[in-house]
Amino acid sequence: MGGTQTVTGDCALIEVSHLDKVYSVGDDKVTVLQNINLTVRAGEFVSIMGPSGSGKSTLMHILGCLDVPSRGQYQLHGQAVESLTPWELAHIRNQEVGFVFQNFYLLPRMTALRNVELPMVYAGISPVDRRRRASELLHQMGLSDRFQHRPNTLSGGQKQRVAIARALANNPSVLLADEPTGALDTKTGEEIMGMFQALNQGGVTVVVITHDAKVAHYARRTVHLLDGKIVGEEDLR
Amino acid sequence: MSFTEMWLAAASSLRASPLRTFLTMLGIWIGVASIIIIVAMGQGGQKAVISTIASTRLQNTIQILPQEIVEPGLPQPGQVLSFQTSDLQLAQQFSGVASVSYSLYGQATVGYHSHTLNASVQAGPAYLNDLAHFTVISGHMFTSTDVLAHRQVALVSQSLAGQLFGHESPIGRVILVGGYPLQVIGETISSQFDLMSRFLGSNYLYLPSTTCRDLFPWWGISEMDVQVSPGASVGQVSQRLVTALNIHAHNAQAFEDASGLWLGLEQTVRKVSTILTLTIGSVAGIALLVGGIGVMNIMLVSVTERTQEIGIRMSLGATRRAVLLQFLTEAVMITTGGGLLGVVLGVGASASIRWFTGFPASVSWQAAGVGFLFSMVIGVACGLYPANKAARLNPIDALRYE
Ligand SMILES: Nc1ncnc2c1ncn2[C@@H]1O[C@H](COP(=O)(O)OP(=O)(O)OP(=O)(O)O)[C@@H](O)[C@H]1O
Ligand SMILES: [Mg+2]
Repeated sequence: MGGTQTVTGDCALIEVSHLDKVYSVGDDKVTVLQNINLTVRAGEFVSIMGPSGSGKSTLMHILGCLDVPSRGQYQLHGQAVESLTPWELAHIRNQEVGFVFQNFYLLPRMTALRNVELPMVYAGISPVDRRRRASELLHQMGLSDRFQHRPNTLSGGQKQRVAIARALANNPSVLLADEPTGALDTKTGEEIMGMFQALNQGGVTVVVITHDAKVAHYARRTVHLLDGKIVGEEDLR
Repeated sequence: MSFTEMWLAAASSLRASPLRTFLTMLGIWIGVASIIIIVAMGQGGQKAVISTIASTRLQNTIQILPQEIVEPGLPQPGQVLSFQTSDLQLAQQFSGVASVSYSLYGQATVGYHSHTLNASVQAGPAYLNDLAHFTVISGHMFTSTDVLAHRQVALVSQSLAGQLFGHESPIGRVILVGGYPLQVIGETISSQFDLMSRFLGSNYLYLPSTTCRDLFPWWGISEMDVQVSPGASVGQVSQRLVTALNIHAHNAQAFEDASGLWLGLEQTVRKVSTILTLTIGSVAGIALLVGGIGVMNIMLVSVTERTQEIGIRMSLGATRRAVLLQFLTEAVMITTGGGLLGVVLGVGASASIRWFTGFPASVSWQAAGVGFLFSMVIGVACGLYPANKAARLNPIDALRYE
């Protein structure tokens, strides 16, 4: 598994059907996602759009196996996620998914290089190999001179590029980005989105979550979410 | 993730808050060190006492004493308190006996010019230095001839000499003991760690036995020192001689061989000091346990503080096992570091005590090893709960934790 390049265009990578997510807060039950049906094929660039509180992040966490659905089916790469053990879920997060978050979520005490190496540490890749790969990725992200910088000495855009490099470390099947430009200015945001576009053109499947129509326009397909339901879809190209 | 990498990662995360790591280590550090020091002191004290007792038993020498009445206090009617001259003569003619001498102990005032001091007097044969464990540091020991000739000579302990003569050499000076003039021929120090001097002071005066009898004829002879002829069995001679002396005194329990006494004493000393060491040692063990709870507490705080870090790691593919091992390694590293420092401090302190006070504190490598191993065990035991707590976090809850 892993390499995006090996997956052909029409294969369904993510297949969600009749998915619900219900939280119980005290005695109340809050339905955050309701009857979600979504298919993402390998190689696609999809954006999920919706106002704040519509359940975008919740959906992304489920897609990335950080959270589990309350009802319904979710198949990633043909594998039913509901039946997996915590160990198998960790393995999927490590190998199949690359996360990019609004707040970067870099480990503050580690250098950029070490941050990018981390997923490969958990994959059991040898120190030499993972150092080489991490350097390559940072180089690709235009951070050749920032290897030894800690996150607090990097700009927002640089941090997000480190995070993207980290997300790509294990050649995931899909990149899941939750408001990746939310903490950046317009120009840097455009740069980052350009990067996603380039990666997608290189064959990486990308799902971007946003409430910003401009950001959504980078994607070829946009799914609209409102109050936990999919209310529409548009193909832009 | 390899073992080395895990340790490096744990080390770097502990380095991030050095003061906290240090303070957490401190409990384990002190606990392990005190265990080592206590055992060293206990064993050293035991050895010192036992060697005092053991070395009192000289090769080919029998020490015979008036038998102790089990209940101390006033002498019982008919109890023999000292040897008569006739007892000595009897021993002298005994087969298997090469020579007989005797020792006396008492207190006397020692005068020099205007100084007057109280000193413990020990008088005996020319080998008194072996019986009373002292070494002559200047001058010389009195000889058998001195003993035979009732020479009025004496040796003084270093502390007595210091008080009487200040910094000047004591050799050749004349002191007054019990009103008689004696010439000082030597200065002595104790040849082993002297427990008794801690309680009795260390003003000693050593005299030939005959001279002492002249000075203090009313002192009883409190010990008979019999040299056994080469080839004769010490045990047999002792047994027969004691029996003969008892018959002579018309008292079946008049005298006894000191070696039996020493053996009993040795056992008691061993027992008492072992009990003491265990008792104090277990108090130190409790200190170690409290240190362990400190480690657990800090690890729990650390898990809470680093919840989001755990979430991030999980989002990158860390398994529960990886998270568990991460925190466990940190806990074990703290306690092992503390344990290691404890061993260094404990061994160092024991050595210093030995060096500076002369107390024969003996470092037990078993105690050091057990202390160190115990610190690792405490790391695992006290790290397990927080580490497990971290590992069981739900990835998304951890990630969203604020
Ligand atoms: N653990 C939880 N318990 C209860 N309710 C929750 C929990 N997590 C999220 N929610 C609720 O689910 C809803 C959707 O949250 P989510 O974070 O997915 O929104 P979002 O679309 O990402 O919004 P935003 O654009 O502001 O990030 C919110 O109303 C939120 O209060
Ligand atoms: Mg959100």
